[in-house]
Amino acid sequence: MSSEALKQEIRDALDNTTLARTLGTFCKTYPARREKAYEGVDFEATRNKISEVKRYAADHIDEMIEEFTKNCEARGGHVIHARSKEEAMEKIRVLVKEKGVKTIVKSKSMASEELHFNTTLAEDGVLVQETDLGEFIIALEGNTPVHMVMPALHLNKEEVADLFTDYTKVKNEPIIAEEVKTARKVMREKFITADMAVSGANVAVAETGTVFTMSNEGNGRMVGTLPKIHLYIFGIEKFVKSISDARWIFKALPRNGTAQRIAAYVSMYTGACDVVTDKENDTKEKKEFYAVIIDDPGRRAILEEPEFRPLFECIRCGACLDVCPAFALVGGHVYGSKVYTGGVGVMLTHFLVNEGRASEIQNLCLQCGRCKEVCGGGLPISDMIMKIREKSVKENPNAIKKFALDAVSDRKLFHSMLRIASVAQAPFTKGQPMIRHLPMFLSGLTEGRSFPNIAQVPLRDVFPTIEQNVPDPKGKIALFAGCLLDFVYTDLARDVVMDLNSIGYLVEMPLGQACCGCPASTMGDVDNARKEAEINIEGMEAEKYDYVVSACPSCTHQLHQYQTFFEEGTEMHKRAVELGNKTFDFCKLFYDLGGCEESGDGKPVKVTYHDSCHLCRSLRVTQEQRELLKNTKGVEFVEMEDHDNCCGFGGTYSVLYPDIAAPILQQKIDNIQATGADVVAVDCPGCMMQIRGGLDARGIDNVKVKHTAEIIAEKRGLI
Amino acid sequence: MGKITDELYERFKKNLESVNGTCVRASKSDLGKAVAEILKEAGIPDTCIVETPLMKEGGVIAALEEAGIKVYTDHIRLNAETVKGGISEVQYGIADLGTMVQGRDVIDERIVSTMSEYYIGIVKGSTIVPEYDDMFDVIAALPEMPNFVGFVTGPSRTADIECVSTVGVHGPLRLSAVVVDDE
Repeated sequence: MSSEALKQEIRDALDNTTLARTLGTFCKTYPARREKAYEGVDFEATRNKISEVKRYAADHIDEMIEEFTKNCEARGGHVIHARSKEEAMEKIRVLVKEKGVKTIVKSKSMASEELHFNTTLAEDGVLVQETDLGEFIIALEGNTPVHMVMPALHLNKEEVADLFTDYTKVKNEPIIAEEVKTARKVMREKFITADMAVSGANVAVAETGTVFTMSNEGNGRMVGTLPKIHLYIFGIEKFVKSISDARWIFKALPRNGTAQRIAAYVSMYTGACDVVTDKENDTKEKKEFYAVIIDDPGRRAILEEPEFRPLFECIRCGACLDVCPAFALVGGHVYGSKVYTGGVGVMLTHFLVNEGRASEIQNLCLQCGRCKEVCGGGLPISDMIMKIREKSVKENPNAIKKFALDAVSDRKLFHSMLRIASVAQAPFTKGQPMIRHLPMFLSGLTEGRSFPNIAQVPLRDVFPTIEQNVPDPKGKIALFAGCLLDFVYTDLARDVVMDLNSIGYLVEMPLGQACCGCPASTMGDVDNARKEAEINIEGMEAEKYDYVVSACPSCTHQLHQYQTFFEEGTEMHKRAVELGNKTFDFCKLFYDLGGCEESGDGKPVKVTYHDSCHLCRSLRVTQEQRELLKNTKGVEFVEMEDHDNCCGFGGTYSVLYPDIAAPILQQKIDNIQATGADVVAVDCPGCMMQIRGGLDARGIDNVKVKHTAEIIAEKRGLI
Repeated sequence: MGKITDELYERFKKNLESVNGTCVRASKSDLGKAVAEILKEAGIPDTCIVETPLMKEGGVIAALEEAGIKVYTDHIRLNAETVKGGISEVQYGIADLGTMVQGRDVIDERIVSTMSEYYIGIVKGSTIVPEYDDMFDVIAALPEMPNFVGFVTGPSRTADIECVSTVGVHGPLRLSAVVVDDE
C-alpha cells in the first residue's frame, strides 16, 4: 500500500485543471499523431535495430568508453570519465572555478540533474541558466519537470505570463506567441554573454568521438555555437558504436517523443569545433570542449542485473509516459524523482535517483502493458516495473495487503470469507442488483463505481446441476473458473458451458482449483503466486483434458505464466508447461474449435467491444472475438474510440488507487456512450465488473455489459 | 549525384513546407535574384552572409545590395546580434524530410543559421539525397567526421506552453531553402 503522502500528491495532481487539460489532450491525440509520423517507417524493425545497437554498446561498455575517449581527444576534446556523480560534479566544479566561469547556459541534460548541477554551482556563485523554454519556465516556478519531453505542461499561459512578468518586470500578456518572443529576447542576451555552455547528449558515438543533440527550439544549437567552453554531460548508457548505428535512434526518437518525423535540429559535435573568441576582432579559435561521462555505481548496477539491463536500450523518448493511463491523469510530479518520470522513469529513479521513491511509485502502474507496445527501445517496461514491485514487497511486506493475499492463496479461508461476504452483504443490497460496499479486503471504497453481488451459491456448488447434453462429445474441456466466475458471475460460467456444448465439447470443473494467483503477482507477492500455481497445477489435472478454458484473460495469462515459477526439468515445471499449453481464453478456444458459424436470432442489437489489457496485449487475441460477434445474426458491430485503453480495473488497482482509476473509467464510459451501442461486449469479468459498476453508479441503464460467451449463448438460443 | 529531378525537388519542397519552411528553385545565374527576392518580400533590411564560390557565381551580394538590403560579410559573430537576415550554403539536403544539412565546421555558417531571424540556406540540387538513411550512409562514409554536422529542418519551434505548436523560438523565426540547379 502506498503512503498517505503519495495519495495526497495524486489528489493534488488530479486537482490541477491545466494539467488535466493539456496532458489529457496530448495523451489522447498522441497515438494517432505518432502513427502518422511513422508512415513509411517500420517501427518494429527500427526498435529492433535500436535494441541491437544499444545492447552491443552495453555489452562492450568499457571498450566504448575507451574508444570514445581516444577519438574525442584526438579531435581536440577533453574527456572526464567520472566513476561517481560526486566525482563528476567535483571535477566540473574545479573546472568552472579554474576557468573563471560566472555564467552558464544549459540546454537540456537530464544527467546533469542527477548531479544537482545547478544548485551546486549556484553555491559557488555561478549563474546557471536553463534555456529550453519549458525548463526555463519551471526554473522560474521553482518546480521540477512534469514530463520528460515537455516539462512545463502543468502550467497554463496565464501562469506563464505571471512568471514572465515577475522575471522581466514588464507586463507579459497571456498570449503564447508573445511569451515565446519574450523567452527569445531574454535568452538571447544570456547566449551571447555566457562563459560556458552545457549540453546533454542523446547519443555518443565511440568510433568517432561524436556526441548528438536533438532539439526543436534552437537552444541546443545556440549553446553549441556561441560560448567558448562547451561541456557535454551524459551517462554511459548513451553510447553506440558507429555513426551508422546512431541513425536508428533518431528515426524513433522524434516520432515517439513528439510525433515529429524529425526535430528541427539534430547536431553532431566531434571534438572541438571552431568558435569566435573575440567578436570585436573577429578572432576564431577551437573551443574548449569537454565530455563528462557519468559512469556511476547506479549505472553499473543496471548492467549487473540481467532483468534490468535493457534499461541501457532506453532512448528517453517518453512514449511510455504518453500512453500510460495513470500518467495521463497525474503527470510526472507524482513520480517525484525530480529527473525521470513515468513508466521507464520508475526504473531510472530506482537505480539513478532514489530507490525509496521508486518502491512507492511503482504502485501507480496498472500493468496494462501499453508502454511495451510503443517503447522505442523495445523494453519490457511493465514487466520491469513488476520486478521492482516484487523487490519492494519482499523487502517491505505490507501487513494488510499481505493478509489479503495470504487469504486468497488459502483456498478454504478465501472461500469461506467470500461466503461470509455473500451473507454479510444482505443488509447493504436492499434487493438491488448492485451493492456499494463489500466487506473484507475488497471493501476499498471506489468513487463512481458499484460492486456486484457475491453469488449466494458459488459456482462449485451450482456446476453439477448444469445439464450438459452432448451425445457424442468431440472432447473434454476443463473449466478454470477464477474468482469472479466462481463467486460472482456464476451465470456466465453456465453460458461458457452451453456454448462449448453446442459445438460438441463436454465441460468439467475440477474442484481442486483456487484463485489463479494474478492478484498476488500483480501486487508483487511471488511467494503466494507460486503457492497458488502449485494448487492449480495439482487441482486442474490438465493431463486428463483436451483443453482448459477460462473466461477471464487475466486468469489465462496467469496460467500461462506458471512455468516461469518453477525450475526447468522439475515435475512441477513439466506439468505447468502442459497446463499452459492447453489453456485458452474462451473466445480464442471457441473460435479455433469451429464456433464461428453464422447464427443468431437476428434481433437487431448494436454492439461495441472493449479489449481487456491481458487479452489484447498479453494473449494477443483481438480478431477472434470480433469475428464471433460480427457473425452473430442481428449484431451491428461498431468500434469505440480507444477500444484497447484500460478500463481502470487493473485487479486490485482500482481499490488501491481509486482516484486514478475513477477518471480512467469515466473516459471508457464516455467512449462507450459515444458509439450509441446497446451492448458493450467484453471478455474479462474484471472489466465487466468495472464497467457495469461505472454505468450503474451513473444511472445509465440503456447500455448493458456482456461477456462474449453470454452474447453467443443468448443470440444462439442456448440458454 | 546528378542534377536534381523535378520529382525530388517537389518532394523536398513539400516536406520543408510541411514544417513551416519555404522553398524556391533557381539556376546558378538566377541565384542572386532569388535570394534577394525572398528577403525583400519578407521586409528584411539587412543580412549576414557567408559567401561561397557558388554564391559569387550567382551574384548574390550584388543582387542583395541592388535590392537595397544591407549586407555584412565579416565580424559575423558581432553583427549577427543585431542583423535580421542570415545566408549560408549547406552541404546536403534530404528530400524526404525537407532537411538541410551542414556538413563542415565553419563557425560563421553556424552562427548565421542559428542567430538570424530569417535564415536562407542555399543547397546544390545535386547534393539532395532522397531519404534520411541515404544521408546517414553519406556521413558514415566520410573519411573523417567533420567537427560539426547539423541537420536543420524548418524554423525553430516549441510546444512547451500548453502543447500549442509555435514557430520561432531561439533559432530562426522563418526559414527558406534555395535549391540551385548545379549540374
